Amino acid sequence: MTTTKTFTYSHTIGFLAATGRGFTNPVDLAINSQGVIYVLNRAGPETPIRLPSKRVTMCNLNEDWFGDFGVGGTGDGEFWWPSSIAIDSQDRVYVSDEGLQRISVFDKDGTFLSKWGEKGSGAGQLEYPSSLAFDAEDNLYLADSGNHRVQKFTSDGRFISAWGQRGSDPGQFEGPWGLALAGSGNVYISDWGNDRIQRYATDGRLIEEFPALPEGQAIHRPAGLTVDDDGNIYVADWGNERVKIIGPDGSLLASLRGESVDSKWAADYFEANPEEGRLRYEADLVPELDPPARRDREISAGVESYFWGPTAVKLDGQGRLYVADSLRHRLQVYQSN
Amino acid sequence: MEKDRKETTELGLIGHLMRRAGFGATLQELEAYQAKGYEATVEELIHPEDAPEWNDDLVRRYQPDQNSIMYFESAQAYWMYRMINSKRPLEEKIALFWHGLFATAYGKLNHAKGVVNQTDTFRRHGLGTFHDILTELSKDPAMIFWLDNKDNHKDAPNENYGRELLELFSMGIGNYTEADVKSCARAFTGWTIANQDYMSVRAARDSIWPSGRIDWQFEYKPEDHDETEKEFLGRTGNFNGEDVIDIVAMRPATSWFIAGKLYAYFVSDTSNEEATAFLAEEYRKSGGDIRSMLRALFLSDYFKSEDVWYAKIKSPTELVVGTARLAGSYQTPQWDITNLASDANFMGQEILNPPTVEGWHTGTEWVDTGTLVERVNSTALVIGDALQPGVRDMIQRLKDRQDTYQPDELVDACLLLSGGLEVSHGTHQRLVEFAANWGEVSFTPEDAVACSEQRVVELLQVVLATREYQMA
Repeated sequence: MTTTKTFTYSHTIGFLAATGRGFTNPVDLAINSQGVIYVLNRAGPETPIRLPSKRVTMCNLNEDWFGDFGVGGTGDGEFWWPSSIAIDSQDRVYVSDEGLQRISVFDKDGTFLSKWGEKGSGAGQLEYPSSLAFDAEDNLYLADSGNHRVQKFTSDGRFISAWGQRGSDPGQFEGPWGLALAGSGNVYISDWGNDRIQRYATDGRLIEEFPALPEGQAIHRPAGLTVDDDGNIYVADWGNERVKIIGPDGSLLASLRGESVDSKWAADYFEANPEEGRLRYEADLVPELDPPARRDREISAGVESYFWGPTAVKLDGQGRLYVADSLRHRLQVYQSN
Repeated sequence: MEKDRKETTELGLIGHLMRRAGFGATLQELEAYQAKGYEATVEELIHPEDAPEWNDDLVRRYQPDQNSIMYFESAQAYWMYRMINSKRPLEEKIALFWHGLFATAYGKLNHAKGVVNQTDTFRRHGLGTFHDILTELSKDPAMIFWLDNKDNHKDAPNENYGRELLELFSMGIGNYTEADVKSCARAFTGWTIANQDYMSVRAARDSIWPSGRIDWQFEYKPEDHDETEKEFLGRTGNFNGEDVIDIVAMRPATSWFIAGKLYAYFVSDTSNEEATAFLAEEYRKSGGDIRSMLRALFLSDYFKSEDVWYAKIKSPTELVVGTARLAGSYQTPQWDITNLASDANFMGQEILNPPTVEGWHTGTEWVDTGTLVERVNSTALVIGDALQPGVRDMIQRLKDRQDTYQPDELVDACLLLSGGLEVSHGTHQRLVEFAANWGEVSFTPEDAVACSEQRVVELLQVVLATREYQMA
């Protein structure tokens, strides 16, 4: 049965900042037991001047900024292509890195604790680990994208199991990006290259492949995803520059295009720089494009309020949906009914 | 891999075509083109829309900075990826041609994606009619910003774009008067970009874009357009920008100008009046259709003549892109792609940031003692990575052909594998002397393979350092 869901745009968190208070290509977020939001900034390119932008920013729903940790590099506690962030039951913070093929672990304040992982295709080895999620026993599930499989580890990195292989048949993957655990214990995977979502049991048994949505609604190159207690799936439809909500029966419940306005941090800046602020607020940043853009991503490039490169979606248990709007350097927050 | 004389000539001609209309080709690609024939290959090249577009999903996924193209380094790297991986080599080559002619530089714009979007316009329209290209160029936000047409108002004309349209982009100096420049500028009043004030502040002070940059949009403001009568190139009327382009595109001087530019880019740095007249006539017959002009050029003896083979110095972009294509590098996302763009920068060609509106000084000016060292070092580094798929393929072809190579056999094989490269007797002799230091190179027994592969790679590095490889 399909449940009616409505989503109302609430507000935006963050703005573009190369260092300090702000984000640079936020690709994922995680929320700990105290309501602290950890925002993972991938940034790039990997030139010396840009490396400081790679960091984890800590803030909360009201845009209080608590600092950041990490920097671009290859040493302990540093990031190259940080891809995903997850928090265990002890509020430890785990970051996967697709450039260094490893998982780094920090305490809740950002102090580096440990790292594990190595490049390869053997059991426990990694190739572009793109997504992380913990189960209730603190086992870590990981979308091992370059190896086209899912791997399960203990929280200290001991290999438990793996499933999947490259392909487009049921149970196979093509560069899987997102991974989420439902309260039911099922594992949901966004199979990026195959434009589909699959649901598995924790032992790797395929339960179902969600049917393709009708033309015009179908997901394309899905990225991060999450699942609520009713089994509704929230997926960053990266290839369509949208967020889609899909019911347990596979039907489309909602499609969000993004409707951001300036965050508090941005408003602070323009209050301090009123002439720039005046020009900005006089400008039409939601224009009708002429000529019409050929692709959704080009429309997103020209319309500031829309999602552009949405890579992750998270729920906070209080009906709020957070979208990592990676190319717009912000989180868009929605409230569901 | 031994070819008879006729096959070698055909392969050589196709190799020449690919160096000029593309970025060179691997031996495998050359053989595939050879099987189709020269004329069919020309037709395939001038119809890039028939080949698949480069799928950039992986690059945009793993390198988000190249998805939004917020930074200049990302913009350069993104175009490098596209040139290296495109199955439409002439589409990229013609974009590079128009980029050099309508030289628009990031430095003034502070908006990397704006310049990249302009190259996309060149891809879409670069083989169409010159009339359409000028129309698109005149509406291109980066060009409007670059040559100040956003400041070209009904009551205060700015002549920058109007002047360069006539002087550098179409007819050339001596074919119009100062009065024509003023009329041209007035015709383009009101051709601007949306949110001009905010975008101008952002370009001048690159401080806070709270949500990253926003694509510029063309906007025509009729209230800011000079509706009064204008005299332009001997005609009188209430001309708008489109009317000016109609007139300019029909002028014989324009056909001659474009013919000369295409000849210099695709054939020779030494001008040829007869060939230029031939191309100008093709412009007239085809209504200024660039595709028709290039078809006529590539099928002509002006282009095919062996006198013009290896007669142009490769631009830095042609050199680094061609070498990466040969080595099979950067087919998947690599963080160090920015280094490749930097190599071209150090060799004197900072793509997307030409030094002036006149573009780059080409020909022999590409090479001095400093840039030559950069050219040799860069190619040696790329081709010297034996793990790259293109290099692996070359080694495998050598192994498949025979187990053991004498020095002259190894040199001939490596020249052929390097895009069907033909070298002078003197160069050949030097290469054989270099290879002779090792004596026979053998791929058996098994424990000799690693050493032999290393020698092949070292010889390829020397082959790419030859005068002939540095030429197109």
